[in-house]
Amino acid sequence: MSSLNETIHQTVRLRIMAALVTLKADEEMDFTSLRDLLDVSDGNLGAHLRKLEEAGYIVIQKVFEERKPHTYLAVSPEGRKVFKEHVDALEAILKGK
Amino acid sequence: MNISPTEAEEALEAIQVVMQKTRRYLSNSGAYAFLIVWGAIWLLGFSGSQFLSPQMAGYTWMVLDILGGVISMVIVLRMKKNVRSTNPVTTGTRIGSFWLLLFLFCGAAIWVSQPVDGRQGSMLIILFVMLGWMAMSLLLSFASARWALVLTALALIGYFLLPGIFYAWMAVLGGGGMIALGLTIRSSW
Repeated sequence: MSSLNETIHQTVRLRIMAALVTLKADEEMDFTSLRDLLDVSDGNLGAHLRKLEEAGYIVIQKVFEERKPHTYLAVSPEGRKVFKEHVDALEAILKGK
Repeated sequence: MNISPTEAEEALEAIQVVMQKTRRYLSNSGAYAFLIVWGAIWLLGFSGSQFLSPQMAGYTWMVLDILGGVISMVIVLRMKKNVRSTNPVTTGTRIGSFWLLLFLFCGAAIWVSQPVDGRQGSMLIILFVMLGWMAMSLLLSFASARWALVLTALALIGYFLLPGIFYAWMAVLGGGGMIALGLTIRSSW
């Protein structure tokens, strides 16, 4: 049976994961787009992204494009797996199992 | 870690909201925008072909096609800004190459077949565009393949049964249909 994941369950991190799992497996979203989408501050988003990266659930890639720094974010295969398990666990609780 | 069913429900709701918002955010510069832009171009272009002189209609189409090309490029650039693919040959590049080649093939087909009038030439272009639309729908799992078939059928009906109002028919049903489909895709995300 799937269990809840404490790292993911925090509100902002749950929303980050929900946004990133919506992308295709070979796609990455840039930091600014995710910040605008979730309506959070740079600092707040950065802190939660670090926690998710430390857990191995997301991959952060910093690159230079046209001499400007860009940060791209993607969910890792492990992140996709634990997010699905977390959603399954939430649904199980809701169904009263 | 234990949470109540109410908390679980709230969390699932939050996930749904973000996923829906993300899809809408991505689609803001996605396929639906192309349908609306090119639907509007067809609406104006075919209206011009129906009601203006052939020379004026030709100029109208030229201006509209250039405008459509520029707007399409802006849409593609905006898409790249939000999300990028780690795949070196991205889907966007493949889609762009496909449409470019399709238009070259269409041009060659028109060149070879030498249409006797503008209506026949337009019908050939419509058939190639609909073929491209169907290929995109089937390969990229867009749920709009059947609409390309419907529009093709309507175009053929207009071409063979309503030659006098063929352009107006295509403006309303072709252009209008593409706009309606684009708006439907956008609202369904």
